[in-house]
Amino acid sequence: MSRKRTFLFGILASLSVFTSGCWSERQLTDIAMVAAVAIDRNEEGQYEASYQFFNPGNIAGGLQGGGGGQSPPVAVYTATGDTIMEVHGNMSRKISREPYYSHTNLVVISEELAKKEGIAPVLEAFDRGSQFRVTTSVVIAHGVKAKDLVTTLAALDKVPSQKIMQTLESTEKALGENIDIDLEEVINALVSPGREPMISGFTVKGDPKAGTKQESLQATEMPSPIVADGNAVFKNGKLVGWIEGTDARSVLWVMDRLQSTTITTAWAGQKDALSYRVVRQKTNVSADMKNGKPHISVHIHMEGDIGEVTVPINLKDPKTLEKIEKDIGKQVKKEIETSIRHTKKRKADIFGFGEVFHRAEPKEWKKVEKKWEDEIFPHLAVDVSVETFIRRTGLRNNSYLSEMKNGKE
Amino acid sequence: MSPFFKGKKQAAPNQSQPVDPMPGSITSNLQDNLSLVKQKFGNSPDIIIRELKIGSSKAKAAVIYVQGLVDNQLLNDFLIESLMQYQSSSQNETKPEMLDNIYDLVIPMGGVKKQTEWSKLLESLLVGATLIFIDGTDKAFTVASTQGGEGRSISEPTTQNVIRGSKEAFTENISTNISMVRRIIRTPDLWVESMKIGTQTNTNVSIMYLNNIVDHDVVQEVKKRLKKIKIDSILESGYIEQLIEDQPASPFPQIYHTEKPDVIAGNLLEGRVAIFVNGTPFVLLVPVVFIQFFQTPDDYYFRFDIATFTRFLRIFIFFISLIGPAVYIAATTFHQEMIPTQLVLIIAAQRETVPFPAVIEALIMELAFEVLREAGLRLPKAIGSTVSIVGGLVIGQAAVQAGIVSPPMVIVVAITAIASFATPSFAVAISVRLLRFIFMGLAAAFGFYGIIIGLIMMTVHLCSLRSFGVPYMAPLGPFRPVENGDTLIRAPWWATKKRPSLFSSNNVKREAENQMPAPPQPRTIKSESTEKGNQNES
Repeated sequence: MSRKRTFLFGILASLSVFTSGCWSERQLTDIAMVAAVAIDRNEEGQYEASYQFFNPGNIAGGLQGGGGGQSPPVAVYTATGDTIMEVHGNMSRKISREPYYSHTNLVVISEELAKKEGIAPVLEAFDRGSQFRVTTSVVIAHGVKAKDLVTTLAALDKVPSQKIMQTLESTEKALGENIDIDLEEVINALVSPGREPMISGFTVKGDPKAGTKQESLQATEMPSPIVADGNAVFKNGKLVGWIEGTDARSVLWVMDRLQSTTITTAWAGQKDALSYRVVRQKTNVSADMKNGKPHISVHIHMEGDIGEVTVPINLKDPKTLEKIEKDIGKQVKKEIETSIRHTKKRKADIFGFGEVFHRAEPKEWKKVEKKWEDEIFPHLAVDVSVETFIRRTGLRNNSYLSEMKNGKE
Repeated sequence: MSPFFKGKKQAAPNQSQPVDPMPGSITSNLQDNLSLVKQKFGNSPDIIIRELKIGSSKAKAAVIYVQGLVDNQLLNDFLIESLMQYQSSSQNETKPEMLDNIYDLVIPMGGVKKQTEWSKLLESLLVGATLIFIDGTDKAFTVASTQGGEGRSISEPTTQNVIRGSKEAFTENISTNISMVRRIIRTPDLWVESMKIGTQTNTNVSIMYLNNIVDHDVVQEVKKRLKKIKIDSILESGYIEQLIEDQPASPFPQIYHTEKPDVIAGNLLEGRVAIFVNGTPFVLLVPVVFIQFFQTPDDYYFRFDIATFTRFLRIFIFFISLIGPAVYIAATTFHQEMIPTQLVLIIAAQRETVPFPAVIEALIMELAFEVLREAGLRLPKAIGSTVSIVGGLVIGQAAVQAGIVSPPMVIVVAITAIASFATPSFAVAISVRLLRFIFMGLAAAFGFYGIIIGLIMMTVHLCSLRSFGVPYMAPLGPFRPVENGDTLIRAPWWATKKRPSLFSSNNVKREAENQMPAPPQPRTIKSESTEKGNQNES
């Protein structure tokens, strides 16, 4: 009996292996891995999506006869449709393999689409699909078609989408004037009533067509490089404007996303005399009610090194250092206040002050939730305080510039 | 020589007939006895019967031995010569007196016994003893200490190489093997029990244990299972292993075998029972736990930190050799999202030209490797290198260049192969070899889901196994935190205060307290340097 049962069990177990027919099996040669998705709007108001596919043979190159060189590492296919899923379906008419989104690391949305229709309807399919990762970076094509950003080749990174993603990552880290925001963060910001998303812009300098050919890689300087270019500000899911430079940096600062940046300040009446490199900072944003109105205070504590002096400064003197610290603090405070002022005009709370207020005063928030962006935020009282600390002055105390000056005298 | 032929002629009519039932004991007629021996052995020429006349009464006697099983020099110089030079003390010495005199005065050897039963006599003759028959007496001598003949001498182990520790390995001779362990554990508590198994081979099988440590239930169980064996032959300890293991359908070994006396000694000291089988250098150990197959003798000789590291390494190796190709198949056919982008592109690029799905590719490579391994194993050493060249070139190089398999697959198979060679126990390595194909099948059908199902089933199976009453996964399976000092980690010797209570429940104390070494307190500083300084000054 038990022998028979074991035998039957064995048969059933092996049946489950052989009859399932390798369910959902996908050979690597049957899929086309999508590196980036760029979404434009065509004249008919349809989506025009350009998929950048990896061309593995030309990326890995290596063993099979050199590879690379001859043909580009990516292939771009464009399809149209009223919805993203329709685009996906139409794409199959053009490409021999099944598009596979798990390795997609970039979504590009055109400025025009973001302005007219908003980004919210575009992202839904990506958020829902099981293959698409929510950690995919999102950027806006600034002044060019979204397609141009995925068709232009890059020099150091073989895959252009990789180039955009890594540029974004490194510039956020080093300069802090662009925000590397992923799909999940964008959707969270869209959903939250107390925050609006800010998304980095990228553009192609020069003729976008010139960068699509493999020959463009033969030159030491790319004819049409892809560069980070400002940040798009959204309101109700629609693009309302761009901010860049110190305005953008201030936003990252308030969001506590800034990792390091360089602040140039004046000294003894001379402009751009001293560079201060922020190596770590911590921002605390708190909210309360003051005189019956919401009030936000931003406190920044930063630490850094002296990176460069262009005039002789006696850095051995602690008092001098204290003065430098104060000066830098003042400058940063001014920058942030300016940025907040500019943003208030757009009535888009990209700083997320609403969220902070929500957390601090949940009851008050209920009252102001509906009118936060249009009525409260533009007149919000924000106190900024900055605490600066110079940790090191680099390898030198006083610059050799001081000695040169002394010698002359 | 003539009596031989006579005897032969007399015995001849019976020769082709079924052999007569053996009479119980010998008769006092020498010729009858000798002819019976000849008849019993069918006149085999290696049964040597030397007839001689001894004593002043010139009594007829015969020395019988099996050529090759005895030490010829010992036999000639001491036994036969002494017998021939024997002079009776008195002229009218009776035969029984003579028998006693010979026993008391003549034979200068140990292991001499008087026997009357044919079965005992023949048995000892076949293990190399010499029989002495004297006409007119109904008793015969067996001289056991003439055992000898050619055998392999003690040499280095071939399957269990160690970097540190004893380099000697067991031989094919059971008494040598037993003595090797006796030389290590010098206590009267080391008990040996012998039995003969195999109706035709009458193979000597001995069990050995430390009487004051072993769990006697296990000893009883071992004896019970050994006695149950009714088979014509035992040619190697593998016969015994397969006849006494708990779960014959399991792919995992439930009995440990080793050819190193120090391993046997170490395990006896933990309360295990060793089973020696004549004719093989591989000695069995019961009961075993799974983790034991990941232990090597070196672990205990090296310092505990590196031993612990290698333990973890071996567990890791076990999993690589078990599911290495399966993970590759699952990841490339079901879970491409789990491979880092750059890596998946490399793999995809290499697979572009490969005409088979990943599972077929993996099966081809694994089978090719198994074929190579089998070929290399059986070939004479001189041709062995040819196989590796042809195999390496054809499988490694040409198959990749031809685009039949992809280089990542070659890497996976190679890593798996190395990992399976790195498993310390060959017994586990071969069971993993079989299971690997099952896991590859599961991975091809269900992906990681299948691998996990397989691993769960394997774990359940391992936990259900018993080896002579001891849970196979102990002390991990029924988790006993205190006894994990010699499992995944190897605790230092000064912290190994107890034996595993699974095997030696009645006597677990291993060492005294406070065994951790430390420098003396307070530390004294040698004043050598200051003295030197003084000399320099002067």
